Amino acid sequence: MAEEFNTGDMLDVYLYENQQLLENLQDMVLEQKDADCFDEDSINEIFRTMHTIKGSSGIMMFDEITKASHKLEDVFYYLRESHPQNVPHQELIEHVLKTADFISAELDKLSEGEAADGDATELVADIDEFLNRIKGTGKDKKADVKENVHVEPTQFYIAPVASNNNKFYKIYLTYDKGIQMANMHAYKTVYALKELAEEIMYSPEDILTNEHASEDIVENGFKIMLRTQKTEEDIRKIVAPGYDLEKVDVYECSEKEFKLGFDSIGTEIRIDLESSVEEIEARSEAKEKGGEEPKKAMAPGDFVIASKEPGKATKLAKDKPKKTEKTTYISVDIAKMDMLMDLIGELVISQSVVLQNPDLKVPGLSLDNFNKAAGQMTKISTDLQNVIMSMRMVPLTATFQKMNRIVFDMSRKLDKDVEFEMIGDTTEVDKNIIEHISDPLMHLVRNSVDHGIETKEERLAAGKTEKGKVTLSAKTESGKVWISVSDNGGGLNRDQIIAKARQQGLLEPGRAESSYTDKEVYQFITLPGFSTNKKVTEYSGRGVGMDVVVSNIQAVGGTLEIESSPGQGSTMILKIPLTLAIIDGIVMEVGNNAFVIETGAVKEFVSISEDMLIHEPGGAESVMIRGECYPVLRIGEWYHLRNYVSAVEDGMMVIIEADKKKMCLFVDRLIGKQEIVVKPIPDYVKKVKGLSGCTQLGDGSIALIMDAAGLME
Amino acid sequence: MGEFDTQKGKYVTFKSGNEYFGLKIEYVSEIIGFQEITEIPESEDYIKGLINLRGKIIPVIDVRIRFKQEPFEYTDRTCIIVIEFNNLVVGLIVEKIAEVVEIQEENILPSPSIGRADKSQNKYVYAIGKVGDDVKLLLDPDRLLNDEDKTVLEKVSEDNTEEGEE
Repeated sequence: MAEEFNTGDMLDVYLYENQQLLENLQDMVLEQKDADCFDEDSINEIFRTMHTIKGSSGIMMFDEITKASHKLEDVFYYLRESHPQNVPHQELIEHVLKTADFISAELDKLSEGEAADGDATELVADIDEFLNRIKGTGKDKKADVKENVHVEPTQFYIAPVASNNNKFYKIYLTYDKGIQMANMHAYKTVYALKELAEEIMYSPEDILTNEHASEDIVENGFKIMLRTQKTEEDIRKIVAPGYDLEKVDVYECSEKEFKLGFDSIGTEIRIDLESSVEEIEARSEAKEKGGEEPKKAMAPGDFVIASKEPGKATKLAKDKPKKTEKTTYISVDIAKMDMLMDLIGELVISQSVVLQNPDLKVPGLSLDNFNKAAGQMTKISTDLQNVIMSMRMVPLTATFQKMNRIVFDMSRKLDKDVEFEMIGDTTEVDKNIIEHISDPLMHLVRNSVDHGIETKEERLAAGKTEKGKVTLSAKTESGKVWISVSDNGGGLNRDQIIAKARQQGLLEPGRAESSYTDKEVYQFITLPGFSTNKKVTEYSGRGVGMDVVVSNIQAVGGTLEIESSPGQGSTMILKIPLTLAIIDGIVMEVGNNAFVIETGAVKEFVSISEDMLIHEPGGAESVMIRGECYPVLRIGEWYHLRNYVSAVEDGMMVIIEADKKKMCLFVDRLIGKQEIVVKPIPDYVKKVKGLSGCTQLGDGSIALIMDAAGLME
Repeated sequence: MGEFDTQKGKYVTFKSGNEYFGLKIEYVSEIIGFQEITEIPESEDYIKGLINLRGKIIPVIDVRIRFKQEPFEYTDRTCIIVIEFNNLVVGLIVEKIAEVVEIQEENILPSPSIGRADKSQNKYVYAIGKVGDDVKLLLDPDRLLNDEDKTVLEKVSEDNTEEGEE
């Protein structure tokens, strides 16, 4: 049914917004997972989030999502209004996460172009049960708090194809008093009638989202207004009285009456001869109440599907689903971003061509105004460049948060107490790279919790704290992003791996097992089909995993390193090249060449004099600075450059550090510090030691990026 | 396919030393004026360095040095022919761009393997095209770019796979 309304754009916006909302929701919940209860703000926020999702899903007619979000909204409505004590917090979190999972799963299906066919019934029932429990006895649930009811006299339109020869009907359905979920029955009827309807309205309109719709329908009956070319008999065929449906009244009415809709209560009463006095009274009461109640800014269920009838405009007034105050985003094709970036580069070059044009060097030219304008232009283009560069970079925070969720879920399911720590999650990585490392990271984190961390008993027996710890950290070092997943669990079992490798015939014949280094041994676990885990769990042990991790990482040119010490835990380090990552770099000049070194690797700059140098036999030089001795590398000499400074007094010493080793680079002069976009040196050029990439400087010239770790070798 | 047809048999010719060379036009993506080159230390002498082609960083090679001829001074007339071959984008520094000529199939003769003193030049030339009375040496971009580098390139890719297996 929904497909007709799902124009692509609307769906995209819907998916995007709700995915964002769910992500935020999840972060918020996990942030407070160890607390005793949610704070006021979070409760409000979760309530609002669910409300928004409910509203927009209602518009899109994804009923199951609407139902699930509505139920959770109810729970938080109750929490917000009644501040109940002793809410089982963990259980509540579980319900929230489950609902979020359900909705994201549905959204995923939708974004894949499939139908959202999940069934929320069980979920809703669970939450319902939970809600009743926290409400205390669950008996007098309506007595202690006013339910989340919004009575809004609006109507629901479904307006498929307009054509002539129409007849107008009013249909009154009276349901059996004992019926359950009358709203669903009513909805089914509407859905069936839609087949033959040109236009259909019904009241109460929010039958799916308002849980009191059901009672309302039982109480007051369900009214449908129908414009159709079919006869009364056709309608009666569809809505025949059944075991639940007591009575069906079909009246033909005029177009005028039809257009008046349900607002013409007078007409309605006149026609509705069979209604009891009580019913009419009840209805007019409801009407009054509706009139008195001020329109709320956010009224759930207050939605209308656009009708093709312009005449209906007045009745289509609707409250928009509440907009969040969050930053809004648009998604852009990466290829366009690349193009934009290249163009900016070009712009900067042509700018310098203009500003340093030899024509301007004519003596006697008054260039004051030109220089002023040029300065302004330079500023704008620099800003522009910075913005473009920052646009591509995304912090790892979101990816790390996802892992937080995985650890949380798994530790509960596996009954392990696991603490999760994130370090350096604000490290910015190119968007492309994030997409590629998200899955491998998930595998690694799962492995750590599942295989790495031992059970509580094992940990206590090994004299460790009951609580295990998984640390996820990120940093940039020597031109690569290092992301490591470490646990303080049992570590890898070398003997077991060797045994398994022998069994699979992976050991080289004739080579002693003891001659394998730990590194080589650990590499075996990255081979396809290699799993030392004896039993297959929900999370791992099938032997697919590490090889997938490795191939995914290799796809972006990265490597995986495994470190482990028995009893202490293991660490998996992903080293991903920052093909397009931005680093903060120090620009230096040697001869006519510009070099860049990552700011993080630079300890200090020192001007020295000749007498501080120590010349070792064999030509090696060292320098003594404040009692410490550093080896000196003269970049100009080392790279056989031309026109470089050779007297130490005229140049500059740059002390760099990598892998806990320090050394001194001798360069001609420092140019400055700037953010640079790392680009790989084209493959055509063979790899040069100590260079990890190149970059385009502000003036369009190219600088080579030195890799501190590489220079050390 | 229309584009292909119009490109068929057309060659971009340029002067290097005393000879005129030709490159199939389909390999040539553009011709740009000379621009500042950033040297890469410790690379082959004919790889002059890197240039910034609208944000894309590409290596440039000096064709004369590649042909083991005397290096020449770069002037305003020096051009860089940007060629794309096997996803490899490389700039060729040439002394002077001559023209785009059309050489008929029957005017293309296989490169004589003997009778030429300059062997090093010969291995980049796969054929000789006759245009009127002139002769253009037709270059094979594969050999021009790779040939002896192959060892280097292969080594690089070997290194990569080794790293991968680790």
